[in-house]
Amino acid sequence: MVADADRVRRELEGIVGPRRVSVRPGDLDTYARDMWPRLLLARRAGATPTMLPTAVVWPESVREVAAIVRLARNLGVPIIPYGGGSGVCGGVVPRFGGITIDTKRMAALRGIRASDQVVDVEAGLSGERFERELTRRGYTFGNFPSSIYCSTVGGWLATRAAGQLSTKYGKVEDRVAGLTLVTGTGEVVDTDGPRRAIGGPDWTQLVLGSEGTLGIITSARLRLSPAPQLKVFRGFEVDNVAAGVEALRRVLQRGLKPAVVRLYDELDTFVNSFGHHHHDEAAAEFRHTHAPVPLPGEGALPPLPPPPRATDDDGPLERLLGMVRKARHGLRGDAFTAVLDRPRLINRVVGTVAEKIARKGCKLIIGLEGARLRTEVEAALTFAELERAGARDQGEEPGRAWLARRYAVSYKMSPVFRDGAFVDTMEVATSWATLLDLYHSVRTALGKHAVVMAHFSHAYPEGCSIYFTFAAHAPDRGASERLYDQIWKDGLEAATRVGATISHHHGVGMLRAPYMAGEHREAMAILTALKHSFDPDDIMNPGKLGLAARRWEAR
Amino acid sequence: MTVELASALAAVVGADHVRTIYGQPALAVTPGSPTELADVVRITADAGAAVVPVGAGFRAARVRGLGDRRRVHLSSERLDQVVQLDETSMLCHAQAGLTGAALEKILAPRGLSLGDYPPGILSSSIGGLIGVRTPGKSSARHGFFEEAVAGVSAVLADGRTIHTRVAPRRSTGPDLARALCGSEGTIGYITAAVLRLHRRPEARLLAAYRLPSVDAAIAAAFLALREECAPAGLRIVDASEARLHFPEAGLADGQALLVACTAGPTDLAACDRDLIASAVAAEGGAAADLGLAERWWRRRLGTEPTPEPAPSFQASAGPGQLVAAYHAIRRALPAARLHVSRFDLDGAVVFATLVDEHGDALEGDALTATVARAEAAATAAGAWLLGARPTALDPYLKALRAQLDPRGVMNPGALTES
Repeated sequence: MVADADRVRRELEGIVGPRRVSVRPGDLDTYARDMWPRLLLARRAGATPTMLPTAVVWPESVREVAAIVRLARNLGVPIIPYGGGSGVCGGVVPRFGGITIDTKRMAALRGIRASDQVVDVEAGLSGERFERELTRRGYTFGNFPSSIYCSTVGGWLATRAAGQLSTKYGKVEDRVAGLTLVTGTGEVVDTDGPRRAIGGPDWTQLVLGSEGTLGIITSARLRLSPAPQLKVFRGFEVDNVAAGVEALRRVLQRGLKPAVVRLYDELDTFVNSFGHHHHDEAAAEFRHTHAPVPLPGEGALPPLPPPPRATDDDGPLERLLGMVRKARHGLRGDAFTAVLDRPRLINRVVGTVAEKIARKGCKLIIGLEGARLRTEVEAALTFAELERAGARDQGEEPGRAWLARRYAVSYKMSPVFRDGAFVDTMEVATSWATLLDLYHSVRTALGKHAVVMAHFSHAYPEGCSIYFTFAAHAPDRGASERLYDQIWKDGLEAATRVGATISHHHGVGMLRAPYMAGEHREAMAILTALKHSFDPDDIMNPGKLGLAARRWEAR
Repeated sequence: MTVELASALAAVVGADHVRTIYGQPALAVTPGSPTELADVVRITADAGAAVVPVGAGFRAARVRGLGDRRRVHLSSERLDQVVQLDETSMLCHAQAGLTGAALEKILAPRGLSLGDYPPGILSSSIGGLIGVRTPGKSSARHGFFEEAVAGVSAVLADGRTIHTRVAPRRSTGPDLARALCGSEGTIGYITAAVLRLHRRPEARLLAAYRLPSVDAAIAAAFLALREECAPAGLRIVDASEARLHFPEAGLADGQALLVACTAGPTDLAACDRDLIASAVAAEGGAAADLGLAERWWRRRLGTEPTPEPAPSFQASAGPGQLVAAYHAIRRALPAARLHVSRFDLDGAVVFATLVDEHGDALEGDALTATVARAEAAATAAGAWLLGARPTALDPYLKALRAQLDPRGVMNPGALTES
């Protein structure tokens, strides 16, 4: 039975009333996409989305969500959960139409159990408001993704997100005591319980990361930490990527837990060192406008960075391209797109220029925070370990500069999307033993098509994640999309070949769905079985996570 | 008949490794490789029999409700090899039949360890450690044992072998290894695991304190943990247990003994020890004879015998419920000896040794009745009993099992009752 849009709207209005349902074209258009750069390419070319939701609905309670899911089941239409829309993989695209559930009206921070250091929070709360409220009460959740101003708690949980301080606090999946979700059968279940005393599999871990394919997360019990009493940030320099990786490994494997570790490769170091004095100014300005408490750049969350001004120094990508232009005076016309047409050349030129100028090596930012006594001791041990590994202490300034600017970069990406040029990021992870192999393999694979830089962050005793940033260009939308797909194919297959995971924290969505079989191989049997168990009618975000969607594709 | 099944299995694993279990419609089978094990599962399933997993053999096989259905008690005993030891990444790929203790012996000379887990639990096989969740498998310093699992290999009901992929963390769907962890062999038979390792600590520091009450001791423990103290072990012994285990401590009724071990780089171990000392002082406690802590640690390692009998009841509780749970159990079991240990930020476990007025272990009906009383009291106080699980998700577990194992081959007696 295929339900018509009008019936879907009427039935939804029966559940939530007339004001929290929309079938207006503008709303459907908005909810057809997230921040997946491939969608932005089409948008820039003036195309309208081909996959639209049938209706958008804004429930205010788990009861309403359950009713909506049961309705969808009866009508035979898909459900697509939608949080902040900040995903970068197309996870919210309604591939087969259906009801998009926006969770943002379920945004209550219900309470904190101080004895257990656990907060009960609804899924639609924005990351920024969540963390600010916790700060006010003397706690932190510790998840600071650069999307924190436009992502929701539910989105974090559905994708296994990570923040800039994950090396200490963990990824979000390390911080969950329990979830409430509405499964594909329309039933409300809690996965709570002491994680270690409970027989049977850990359901929390089987729901986290399911990206709406098993159910829709409506609230969660999350572990908190006391707000940090002390923050210590420091910059170091290492000879090269390999030396930096080795230094980080030694720190993590000594049982030390810095909050922030960021090792920039030669090009990333060079691009980021441009405008170094601007960092000072930014930090000073911050100090001026926000002193005296919290200390400059030390507040859990700075205000959202203002839009770029003409006097601002450019983002790393603009700097990267500016540098390339200077290195190759011969370029005429639109240097921006011209240089992107020759990625191999640029990687080589930039490589040599970067190596020449950044001969001092790679930049490494280390930050620790937490309880005063332990943080002091851990910081001393960490810095000593880094120096023993050959890293050179650059003092506090580079760390403070990074802190002051850490959210500025992400919000400057879209201006680069013009004339068929695009930029994207690819975060992969593996064990220390194969980390350099992963770095070189993926960098080579991407470098055939794009200008590539990388940093290493989110470190663990057994391994680390690598965050690649790449920029490329093609003459028209069709060519851009083909190039875009080819870049991802080559990059992810290179990661799989060395045994790495294809995503550390951005998730799967539509972008990585074709590569899930390579990622999990025969273990996909477990995921498929989970899907049938939680969502027997395949209505929950169908066609995502690499799961088959035969029911819908046949139509 | 088990005879044809026995000969079919003997053709795979060799006659020496198939044994009839006397008086039961059951065979004990010990395959010598994961591929043999997969064949055994396939043949058993095709014969309509059930697979009951056996690890190091400390836990009774779950055969309740199987009636006279034929079954194969499938042991991982011969799967006892370290497949790969990656010292660079501190990851160990080990077969499921290796015991934790045997693996520790391999790791020790390399300066590595599974972590500060209670040595008692490490006598289990790795398959058992991972396959069955109990609250004792935890360490404040290294977390719940399951968190050490970076990947597992398992044989599914149809004989297929799966390997979940290893990465420090990933965002590619749910953590599929967790479907097998704690599943007690119902989702698949675990044949190997990749485990996260730790460096052996550079220093270990012991300390003992006397506190005015168990409440104060519990408060001190969580105060220290919230200051990020991560001890290798921490135990609170109440006066009833201290009288037998630490008589020279001279605890009065109501008082408590807190013993702790901190470990890691020397400066961190010292920092953690100091955090505990400060927390104890804040709760009105004072240092006690270091010898008490040393004795506790020797007993923990098994180099000195622990007074008999062993605890026969345990319940875990979150930090908010722990004090109430302790008192509820204390009231319900006036004669029992109690201690609280396995502390981390999620809570701790109350252990009770159930004895009669002569100090002998309770048995038979007296034990059953006392345990029932303790369970009722603990549950009413918000504590969780060993093996408890939220029943709301049972239909999903049932559906998951039906998907992967429609014939009900894999440990059908386990994880069934609601």
